[in-house]
Amino acid sequence: MRVTPVNAWHISAHVVVDPLPADWRERLAERLGQRPRRIGPFAELAMYGARLCLDAAEETTLPIGTALRIGSRLAPMAAARAIAEQSRTGLPMPFNFMQSQPSQMLAALSQQLAWQGDARFALCQDAHAALQLAQQDADASNGLLIGWIEEGQRTEWWRLIRKA
Amino acid sequence: MNEVYLAGRGLASALGPDLVSALVALGQGGVAPTRFEVAGGFSWPYYAMADDEADWMARACRIAQRVAAESGALAGPRTGPLFLCSSSLDMGALEDHSIFDGSDPNFPALVAGWLDWHGPVFAISTACTSSLNAVLSARSLIRHGHADHALVLGLELRNRVTVGGFGGMQLLSATRSLPFGAGRTGLVLGEAVAALHLSSRPARWRVAGGANVVDGKDPAGPVPGAVVAMCQQALGDSGVAASDIALIKPQAAGSPSGDAVEAQALRDVFGTLPALVSLKASIGHTLGASGAAELALLTACLESGVWPRVDYPLDATLNTPLAEQAPPRARHVLANILGFGGGHTAVVLEDGEA
Repeated sequence: MRVTPVNAWHISAHVVVDPLPADWRERLAERLGQRPRRIGPFAELAMYGARLCLDAAEETTLPIGTALRIGSRLAPMAAARAIAEQSRTGLPMPFNFMQSQPSQMLAALSQQLAWQGDARFALCQDAHAALQLAQQDADASNGLLIGWIEEGQRTEWWRLIRKA
Repeated sequence: MNEVYLAGRGLASALGPDLVSALVALGQGGVAPTRFEVAGGFSWPYYAMADDEADWMARACRIAQRVAAESGALAGPRTGPLFLCSSSLDMGALEDHSIFDGSDPNFPALVAGWLDWHGPVFAISTACTSSLNAVLSARSLIRHGHADHALVLGLELRNRVTVGGFGGMQLLSATRSLPFGAGRTGLVLGEAVAALHLSSRPARWRVAGGANVVDGKDPAGPVPGAVVAMCQQALGDSGVAASDIALIKPQAAGSPSGDAVEAQALRDVFGTLPALVSLKASIGHTLGASGAAELALLTACLESGVWPRVDYPLDATLNTPLAEQAPPRARHVLANILGFGGGHTAVVLEDGEA
């Protein structure tokens, strides 16, 4: 996948994980020092990709004023399947509801990175369009972390810095 | 840079199929929630539309077309970006057909097809803040000349998973929605489809600015510092001072803790609060559609003078009195949506006729 930096951005790190290694969740737990709790595979994959990209950029967290943009063709699938099945079987209050919401992934990243800022998620069938939007609508930011997630398959991340 | 205006709006909600009927219903005291059954005999109060069509997809198509047309967005070129804002997307259709393999990835494109829309399509799914985040994204694209118009379409329609999911998290009220109320016990959800047609062409309402702040310290409710940061950043982005804000539409979802956190944060930013209005006791919390639905209804209320009645005692400890009528000459209005997922988003509107 190719992302063309627009306007005043340049790429400081770019990470592609394709295909996902079989032990990626173990690698994430090792990197974090513990297994993530109460989040689904979608949010875990975001955490995995974000950490790899920040490591590549030699950063421990996102600076203040940096924007986070994440895109995907699909909403969290594993959690959606689980709650749909729970609903079908008559469970009135599905257990995995929170994990089915992409916004929980943003909250998990914020918490894990001890970062507060402008984070958004968009579903889009056209990855290039989503990546362009990510850059264009972060006009007030001094940096960007962009992630693309394909649950169970691959993830790709870019760390963009505003040119001086 | 271009300025960005609200060229048109549309709304279908529990108050009626369009904004005219919504204002009539609101002027008559509003509507009461009905009950929505999830499973196992459980049911919750729910602001449902008076539209009994059983086929979820056909109903969604018809309502989306009507609301988008009401906004005026279908009268001109349909080539700008389309932002579909929802936390449940087509879950109701999946339930109709017992298809449980996840949302159709082509649903946003399907919605675009209903509207014969030819611009790029993005589905913004940041839970309650989805529509306001879409407004901010659309504003950026129009300001920088990447688009000259955009359609923000909030769509949140009946489905058991969402209601059951919020019920499971113990966030719902078993009785009614009481924003900032003394007896508030939780949210009452609702369904809505709302359209905001944004354009660079001057119109009465200018989208002056806004801010989005995610803080994951509490994934299910607002974080005090994030509410303060959101307000301050929104004011800064809009080039206005706190004292310029004449009206605030807070999140005020009726959550015992969430309303208290927001009230304190607003006082921290504004000191003496300007007039406040809540719309969630009128249409419920419409989740991903709420930002668009509440902006559409709020601007219509300000233009018409029709105002939601407050027929319950407010929580005196919050010191957040809700206005009993539209404030005169409210030139700058702050609209907040806080949510689920650590999202805190605000937009400042400027009324060019105030």
